[in-house]
Amino acid sequence: MKQQTRNNKRINIITMNIKDILTPFTAWSKVVQDPVTIKDPLTREAAPRYRGFHKNDIDMCIGCGTCEDICENQAIDMVPVEGVETKSGDSGLRPRIDYGRCCWCALCVDICTTNSLNLTNEYTWVDADPEVFIYTPGVDKKSWDDKEDGWQKPVPNYHFYGQKRVHMGELHADERKDSFIEFVKGYSKEQAEMEADRCVSCGICTATCPAHMGIPEYIAAVRNDDMEEGMRILYETNPLPEICGRICTHKCEDVCSVGVNGDALSIRWLKRYIADQIPADVEKYNEILYTKDIKKNDKKIAVIGSGPAGLSAAYYLGLLGYSVTIFEKLPEAGGMMRYGIPSYRLPYDQIDKDVDYILSIGVDIKYNVNIGTDITLQQLNDDYDAVYAGTGLHLGRSTRIPGSDHKNVYQSVDLLRDIVTGAPVPVEKKIVVIGGGNVAMDITRSMARLQMEKYGEVNVIATALEDEEHMPADREEIVEAREEGCDVIPAYGPQEVIIKDDKVIGLKVWKCLSIFDETGFNPKFDESDERIFEGDMVIESIGQGMDLSYLSEDIKAKMEFGPRGRILVNEDWQAKGLPWLFIGGDIIEGPDVIHGIANGHRGAMSIDEFLNQGR
Amino acid sequence: MSNKFFQPDRSKYPSMKDDGTLDVDLSSQKYTKIWLGPNHPGVTGNMAVEMTLGGDEIVQAKTHVGYLHRGFEKLIERRLFVQGFPTSIRMCVAEPDTNEYLIARSTEELSGLTDRVPEMAEWLRTLALEMARLQGLLRGVPGQAGTYSLGIGVQWGVYLRDLILDRFEELTGARVYHMYIIPGGVRGLLPSGFKRRMEDNLTDIDDFIVRIRKLIFHNSVFKSRAVGSAVIPKEWIDKFGIVGTNARASGVKRDVRKDNPYLKYSELDFDPPTATDGDVYSRTWVRWQELVQTVDLIRQIMAKMPEKGDIRGDMPNALHWKIPKGETYVKLESGRGEYGMYYVTDGSSKPRRVNLRGPSYTHAIAVLEKMLINTNIADVHATMVSLQTCPPEIER
Amino acid sequence: MKSLIERVSTKYNLQEVVQQRDNLVFAYVDKELAIDMVTYMRDYEGYAHFTLMSCVDWIEDGKFQLLYLLNNPETKTEFGIKVAIDRDNAVMQSAHHLWEQIWTYQRELKEAFGIDFPGSPRVDEDFVVEGWDDMPHMRRDFDTNKYAEETYFMREGRKSYDPATYMREKLYPKQPVTAKKNKDEQ
Ligand code: SF4
Ligand code: SF4
Ligand code: SF4
Repeated sequence: MKQQTRNNKRINIITMNIKDILTPFTAWSKVVQDPVTIKDPLTREAAPRYRGFHKNDIDMCIGCGTCEDICENQAIDMVPVEGVETKSGDSGLRPRIDYGRCCWCALCVDICTTNSLNLTNEYTWVDADPEVFIYTPGVDKKSWDDKEDGWQKPVPNYHFYGQKRVHMGELHADERKDSFIEFVKGYSKEQAEMEADRCVSCGICTATCPAHMGIPEYIAAVRNDDMEEGMRILYETNPLPEICGRICTHKCEDVCSVGVNGDALSIRWLKRYIADQIPADVEKYNEILYTKDIKKNDKKIAVIGSGPAGLSAAYYLGLLGYSVTIFEKLPEAGGMMRYGIPSYRLPYDQIDKDVDYILSIGVDIKYNVNIGTDITLQQLNDDYDAVYAGTGLHLGRSTRIPGSDHKNVYQSVDLLRDIVTGAPVPVEKKIVVIGGGNVAMDITRSMARLQMEKYGEVNVIATALEDEEHMPADREEIVEAREEGCDVIPAYGPQEVIIKDDKVIGLKVWKCLSIFDETGFNPKFDESDERIFEGDMVIESIGQGMDLSYLSEDIKAKMEFGPRGRILVNEDWQAKGLPWLFIGGDIIEGPDVIHGIANGHRGAMSIDEFLNQGR
Repeated sequence: MSNKFFQPDRSKYPSMKDDGTLDVDLSSQKYTKIWLGPNHPGVTGNMAVEMTLGGDEIVQAKTHVGYLHRGFEKLIERRLFVQGFPTSIRMCVAEPDTNEYLIARSTEELSGLTDRVPEMAEWLRTLALEMARLQGLLRGVPGQAGTYSLGIGVQWGVYLRDLILDRFEELTGARVYHMYIIPGGVRGLLPSGFKRRMEDNLTDIDDFIVRIRKLIFHNSVFKSRAVGSAVIPKEWIDKFGIVGTNARASGVKRDVRKDNPYLKYSELDFDPPTATDGDVYSRTWVRWQELVQTVDLIRQIMAKMPEKGDIRGDMPNALHWKIPKGETYVKLESGRGEYGMYYVTDGSSKPRRVNLRGPSYTHAIAVLEKMLINTNIADVHATMVSLQTCPPEIER
Repeated sequence: MKSLIERVSTKYNLQEVVQQRDNLVFAYVDKELAIDMVTYMRDYEGYAHFTLMSCVDWIEDGKFQLLYLLNNPETKTEFGIKVAIDRDNAVMQSAHHLWEQIWTYQRELKEAFGIDFPGSPRVDEDFVVEGWDDMPHMRRDFDTNKYAEETYFMREGRKSYDPATYMREKLYPKQPVTAKKNKDEQ
């Protein structure tokens, strides 16, 4: 190879002339102009969008750690901070930034679930000690904490995860209000995966879930389309996924990080989706959950009641090898889940699906057994190593207003039970329900359906003491009840059941101004705002009480009771005074299904610990 | 020096063998070995040229890179798809935005989501890339004269470049490493008043580019040094894989913006300038014309882009985004020529392989090493700058 | 593009032909035919511009995938010719005679992946990581994190808490819970 650069290409004696000597001197014209340099570079304010040092509004931040996850430089640590309490919906941790690693990309700002984290446009920070360049914004005070300018999450429509919940298909109110068939359709695979994609896997929800389910973990299983893994995760903490996937009160969704600036994850529907994908085949369940051959031990446990707490305790005791027998008063298992929740929300076959599997691992159940009459508690203590009681709240509470003792004034629990057992249920043309909780909505909507069947039209009024915002029922229950033609009227307190010619003709109510004062429950009414809700029957649904008639006097004498007759237990759910009796379910916590499941699980562990003491 | 009248007797010089080795006996004291760089104001970035000199002429040159190597491609392989772009920009200091675009486009294409990138974001991407070209040229064109110690143009260029960096700062939140083009779109709309401030800057630049032309191209020093120096013959273009202005100055019109239009380039009116001589002078002249053209392109973009619009389409959750197995090669025209990225995914949430193809990969090694032979040592800087060699895109 | 693919497909027994875009095709060719095909594409099909030579480590299959990316300046299309070579016996025929810049690529691939190209000029010279004595650094099994931990020192005093685990310890230490999964698996 020969050199080719300039030897073979000779310049055609370039056209250079005197102009080429003189033209460059035009540059001199700039000499007399003002300099363009910035006079004082140290105080130059950066652009409003500049990505400078971090600041964090620690009251807004919930310590979800999502900023840590997105940081590609591992510049962020989540650390405990004095004065920030760990509580439901807030981990108590706050991000600390290591400026030895940060590249000021602001991805942490862009993903921050609460928008608490920002970069200011401050960019000078000089210090001789390199160790200071690691700090917790918002906690370690900095001069730029109050700066408004700086990088914020871009607008419009700029999101690192989906903001909108995937819509859940439902039967239209007109299609559903005349039957008890399930109206929530459930997610398709595509919908479930889209919804699962929105989760930022922070795990904030896990603390709020009473059963502390592995929520981000099973949502990940949905994303990965691994239903068997999903089932295993569900069953680690909850043996009733089909049931919970439908009617759980989903407190977790209230604290979901994604919900701070968008719609919370549909955690409950995703759980249902996983369970729905596995066919109702106990063999298959046993295979997936590795429960084919559980090694039995020689201990026997009696469980009273087959509600969520009883079933949960029985399942986890069964897994540990105990021989468990459940004693159920009613002809079928499920307790309030079957006899209190209408089947348009929770179909019976789904209850059966969960229950059948629990029985399949070797749990025994005896129906129609009344503890106290058919067999005494003492007898159970003699025959079994420990007893678990999850007997629930099955007695309706009365308002005790004048007229409430009339025969056409009913208790919602009784009616709901009768609907399930097939006992005759009175259905009048006009019905008034007292109560604003979920049970009240259940009876309201159930009666509406029965009215549709009988009269072809709905005429139910549900009246609650609380105002619209504070009604204890789930928002969607209220909305759906209204869609179905029921009249939900908040903020009125019942004063009298009006009776004419021995017939109920309506309910007199006064506007409710406030419910609580310093002394506790003590509602104040505006008597001038009086209304009469017309109705041929009135249903009371203001809460339930427990029926402890199965405790005989001598057993009661050994136990301790708190205010309102509550059984006192120690932190392991062991009845104080009776070490062999463990208590769970609505009589301890709740009332709701998921608390029952949680304390059933804890109860099982406590029993295991109790029986293995000294080993 | 391209002295047209004095030519040394070349028979006394050793010639290189075909395998690139050279038989020089350093102990004979006829030859000297000196290193230019890696730390020298005259070299482009942190690279080094190991030169064997006979007198003041180079008999052999070897490019050494690696002083900036931080394994960016490897690092991106270990990051989520959204986490790649802040790292990628460091593979090219001169026009970092090009990397951001390539990563964004690759991920969008491989996940089949190109349609989700909003129109507005496409315009803003085009704007950012042209602004990047402009600030690069403002440094590079006068910088060429700077290699012949004509410093005034350089000072002007740096001033003008800073004006564009001011605009970058308000648009993207940073001056040099912008981190603006993100998979799915961009990270901000134009701030209010941006177009007016940009127009002010462009007017200023208009005035200066005319002055720069007078200062450089009607300058006896520049002409006598640049004309006929470091020539790229037309045959070399395909043989060496030469691209961009280096190819255009030798009469081969290649420009990705025209050949495989991307973003909004098919809606813009421009014709890439060319020249025929392929020497330093031609290359600088082509780049000067491109400077004028880029100013015009920015004006066109600002006039044509919509006033409002979304900046980012709906993308999968940044933390869980997985892309099916696949591969693509995406390219654009940077100020230094075709700049491409080979991007391979394997179904996981991270890329399997990211391979940047920067123009300097050939320009700074095969071409430069060849070209420096028999060059006078005083022309080395000028040659390097005229090839726009840039080490970070070689070592990545 | 279609007719070209058909033409060379039969001629070189191409496998896994993927037309990624209108102007971009990838296909596997047998190792023995690869350089022949590259030459043919250059000389007879107008793919005169060599864009990129690259390698992907499919460690799970025990293969390196080499890529010769060619560009046709007339039709403005790109053709990616891929070759699978054995990871344990990583040798490939050199193509340095075809384009002037190829030896640079081959020198890099030797250093970064450990693929040998016998006869390629300066193929054994260090390229980017002078004095490197570890495994070729672009191989998938070279662990950058481990390397960084062994080579550099980490800042003292850094510790991070996982929010869910931390909340559990604080709020409900006794309740049985799901074992924490690795975030990557999620
Ligand atoms: S700005 Fe970027 S590098 Fe810095 S802490 Fe935030 S995510 Fe990490
Ligand atoms: S992402 Fe936001 S809310 Fe979550 S921990 Fe980080 S700063 Fe706090
Ligand atoms: S469901 Fe919500 S709170 Fe729970 S892990 Fe996902 S994003 Fe976090």
